[in-house]
Amino acid sequence: MLLKLSWKNIWRSKLRSLVVIGSIAMGIWAMIFGNAFMNGFIVSYMANTINHDISHIQVHHPDFKRDQEIKFSVSDGNQKAVQIRSWQGVKGAATRTLVTGMVSSPRKASGVQIRGIDIENEAVVTRLDSLIGEGDYFEGISRNPVVIGSKLAENLQVSVKSKVVLTFNDVNGTLTQISCRIAGIIKSSNLSLGESYVFMRQDDLARQLGIEGEIHEIAVLLESQVDPETIVSRFQSEYPGDLVETWQEIAPQLAYLQDIYGNMLYVLMGIILTALVFGIINTMLMAVLERMKELGMLMAVGMTKIRVFLMIMIETIYLGIVGAPVGLLFGWATVSYLNSKGVDLTAYSEGLEAFGYDSILYPYVADEVYLIVTIGVFITAFVGAIYPALKAIRLKPVEALHKI
Amino acid sequence: MSIIKATDITKTYNATAVPVHALNGINLEIEKGEFTAIVGPSGCGKTTLLNILGGLDHPTTGEVTLAGTNITTMQDGKLIDFRLKNIGFVFQAYNLIPVLTTQENVEFIMLLQKRPKQERDARALELLTQMGIADKAGQRPSQLSGGQQQRVAVARALASKPQFILADEPTANLDSHSTSSLLDIMAKMNKEEGATFVFSTHDQRVIDKARRMITLEDGQIISDEKR
Ligand SMILES: Nc1ncnc2c1ncn2[C@@H]1O[C@H](COP(=O)(O)OP(=O)(O)OP(=O)(O)O)[C@@H](O)[C@H]1O
Ligand SMILES: [Mg+2]
Repeated sequence: MLLKLSWKNIWRSKLRSLVVIGSIAMGIWAMIFGNAFMNGFIVSYMANTINHDISHIQVHHPDFKRDQEIKFSVSDGNQKAVQIRSWQGVKGAATRTLVTGMVSSPRKASGVQIRGIDIENEAVVTRLDSLIGEGDYFEGISRNPVVIGSKLAENLQVSVKSKVVLTFNDVNGTLTQISCRIAGIIKSSNLSLGESYVFMRQDDLARQLGIEGEIHEIAVLLESQVDPETIVSRFQSEYPGDLVETWQEIAPQLAYLQDIYGNMLYVLMGIILTALVFGIINTMLMAVLERMKELGMLMAVGMTKIRVFLMIMIETIYLGIVGAPVGLLFGWATVSYLNSKGVDLTAYSEGLEAFGYDSILYPYVADEVYLIVTIGVFITAFVGAIYPALKAIRLKPVEALHKI
Repeated sequence: MSIIKATDITKTYNATAVPVHALNGINLEIEKGEFTAIVGPSGCGKTTLLNILGGLDHPTTGEVTLAGTNITTMQDGKLIDFRLKNIGFVFQAYNLIPVLTTQENVEFIMLLQKRPKQERDARALELLTQMGIADKAGQRPSQLSGGQQQRVAVARALASKPQFILADEPTANLDSHSTSSLLDIMAKMNKEEGATFVFSTHDQRVIDKARRMITLEDGQIISDEKR
């Protein structure tokens, strides 16, 4: 009986109920959409960084991190990389010879990390070839071809086929200069790729450094479902003595990002639900005050306080029951649509790319978010209903009946 | 044994700076089956008395015994239950639930009492027929005239066969035609079902139909005639 009466009551003031239902739907939609957008940002940023820059696992000489000296190379690095490539769950492993140096054009100079890469395996691990925006991936130049980022090219005021000079110390500490030509320019939102790296063929670099066949870094890309830790343990047991790290250890800020975006959902929910709870209190209080005489009559003829209390609570919950599915449906539809099409932020992307974000986002939500949001809204409706319901049962029938 | 027994009732309102003595020593007994009007000038205490007799308000001093139960010291929660089981109410205005149909309004008290559906339906239709508004069973109160609404209110009060029915100026908002037909119906239900009515009024035509008339003045009973 209460269920039926409450249901009828919420349609007494259609507009007001629709406003509350609309706010609940909007709130749910905003929470889902906001979460999807944050996911889109962070996940694309993480995926971008892992897939194009740091990979899942990196192997170094234990001292290399502290002191990036040329002598700290990974022993038998190339053979280890060959082995790793055959392991289950490994997509690819690329070796790199690294040296810090300077790149200069006739106009400008810039400090960079020079990365001597195994161009075939690098293409597997970081898909560097796919990032070439202008020119070619180490083709079209016969002597010392290099690939640099677009930002760096801009700084140096050079383009494809321009000549640049690399300066660095070789293994004996002798200052060495080699002249190279730009084969390709990378277009990527990743900051390091854009301006901090100069890529050249491993043999070209190693020969100049005087450490032919030696490498400083193995980057390993895994199948997506593989836990990096399992590969790390296998590596440690087979080749003790090297420093092997997962992406969380290499880039703790990424792991941190992953953590905070979980909390961001709750912050967003907190803000929206707080607004909603005040809206609900306000509306239901109006609904109660408007019907004082009627509530007084109901209590006079014998409707108990518990029933009156429940009636107001149920009315509020109904608003949630109607509003929630609408919001969930719209949220789901919006996210599905944007996920399939991608959100093109090119118009704003200069700012975004400067921070290392992609200009096309693919928002998505984890399934449990729908549940969390729904539960949150119902708790909110419940909390918002308590005060008006208490107000209703504090009415004294005689007084309420006499109010106009 | 009388169904309503009020002993030395006084009621003082202290809401304002000057206390208002609305009732000053009321002694009253009403028997089952009576058809009683409480009359008197405005402000004499009719509403106050009916509220106290109905357990909606507590007297300042004195005792009220209804159907053998002393309700004076009863807690509010228990009183609600007592009212539900024993008293029917008809108010001056606004007493139907606007979102329910006529029939649902009549059944409302029985619903609160958890009576079975069959019994509720039968009783509601019986009463609506006696009230001459059976054809309005499916309509909302807003679609009914004032007189018809008040008949629905009487039907609702009668539906659960309470010990007695209290009506505070039930005809105050009605025109003369509706007033006399409502009174006829109340008198008929008094005869046929033996329903006990206590109502207040200052309408002379209503007073003429009463079989007992209690006159109040300044919170005291100045006359009590039976006819
Ligand atoms: N809640 C209240 N607070 C203070 N004084 C009150 C209150 N209710 C009634 N009174 C006073 O008590 C007295 C009796 O009022 P009551 O409403 O019982 O009169 P009544 O006979 O029903 O009048 P009417 O014919 O106008 O309905 C009046 O003087 C009134 O002003
Ligand atoms: Mg009155």
